[in-house]
Amino acid sequence: MQKKRALQVHEYSLACDIFENVMDVSRANNAQVVKSITLRIGKLAHINPDQLLFSFEAVAQGSIAEGATVNVEPVSPSVECDCGYITSADEYMNETKTSEDDGVEGDGKNANSDTSLINLHEYMSLLSCMELKCPACGAIAKLTGGKDLVIQTIDIENRD
Amino acid sequence: MPIHILNIMHIINVGHDIFNANGKLAEKNKALFDNHGVFAINIMGAIGSGKTTLIEEAIKRLKGRYSIAVIAGDVVADMDAARFEKLGVVAVAANTGRECHLDAKIVEKALTQIDFGNTDILFIENVGNLICPVDYELGEHERVVVVSVSEGDDIVMKHPMIFKTSDFAMIHKVDIAEAVDVVPSTMERDINFLNPTIPILLTSKHNDTSIGQWVGYIESHMDKR
Repeated sequence: MQKKRALQVHEYSLACDIFENVMDVSRANNAQVVKSITLRIGKLAHINPDQLLFSFEAVAQGSIAEGATVNVEPVSPSVECDCGYITSADEYMNETKTSEDDGVEGDGKNANSDTSLINLHEYMSLLSCMELKCPACGAIAKLTGGKDLVIQTIDIENRD
Repeated sequence: MPIHILNIMHIINVGHDIFNANGKLAEKNKALFDNHGVFAINIMGAIGSGKTTLIEEAIKRLKGRYSIAVIAGDVVADMDAARFEKLGVVAVAANTGRECHLDAKIVEKALTQIDFGNTDILFIENVGNLICPVDYELGEHERVVVVSVSEGDDIVMKHPMIFKTSDFAMIHKVDIAEAVDVVPSTMERDINFLNPTIPILLTSKHNDTSIGQWVGYIESHMDKR
């Protein structure tokens, strides 16, 4: 089922890829309706989930996936050091902020220590502009992962 | 008696990685480059940053010694490809039509028009954009990001990922830095902050030495193929 690709945004073509995969799996499983889809989206992938969902809705119109709920599970990147230290970037950011907050009065700008509440774009620029120092050995740590776009599960209804 | 059709709901584990499909194709492209001794460079940067000019200048200095091909990515039009053809090299216009980036599939298709047996260097000029190309490997050996001073000196920190994931950065059009009120060293400092190991080159089309350094960079990395 080739959908007309008229829009010119990154998310639209990703939505088309997702749609085609969902349709393939649905056909293979004899699905009548696609009820929901769960996506894993890396927090460092250049994907705006709202735009992606909006695009998917448009692509899925008139198909068995029309109106399907799309759940998004954000995937945190990791902070990794050669010394063996590894932690999720979310935790790293929270810890770093906490320790900074201890010493400094804080301007209130980044006072919110719960990274799940900041939007993805803020998260990306905050994290990638941070100097990542390994808390275990002090060396510069690497940022790994968090760039995924994975169709995790598809919830279908079929007649057996 | 009516027949009841039993509707059964079930969850299917898919685990399909959308980006991985691109990654696999990129590996295929890379194997093709390696098998034929082709050195492939992906040139990324914003619209008007000077990607085409920098490739042109490199071609002028390299074409006597190497066989060169170019894939010119654009949403529509083949103006860039025509500019490269004028220099006597093979140029393929890869029109993405709707996309803000090249992906491994578009490159794979463009590759069918290139004679690998007779190519040493392949320039892949990405679509003008500092965001979308980041997530798409093409199979290239080197990822180069071009940023011009006319984009403003806060452009680097606004687009951290492209500077974090590139192998080489060029700050271009430095000759007009004063006119656009930008200090190139600020941009250099920001790139360095985001990626402490990336080599950075300040370039201008009108500065032969800087273009020579850009060409030197290409030649010194050709053993990656």
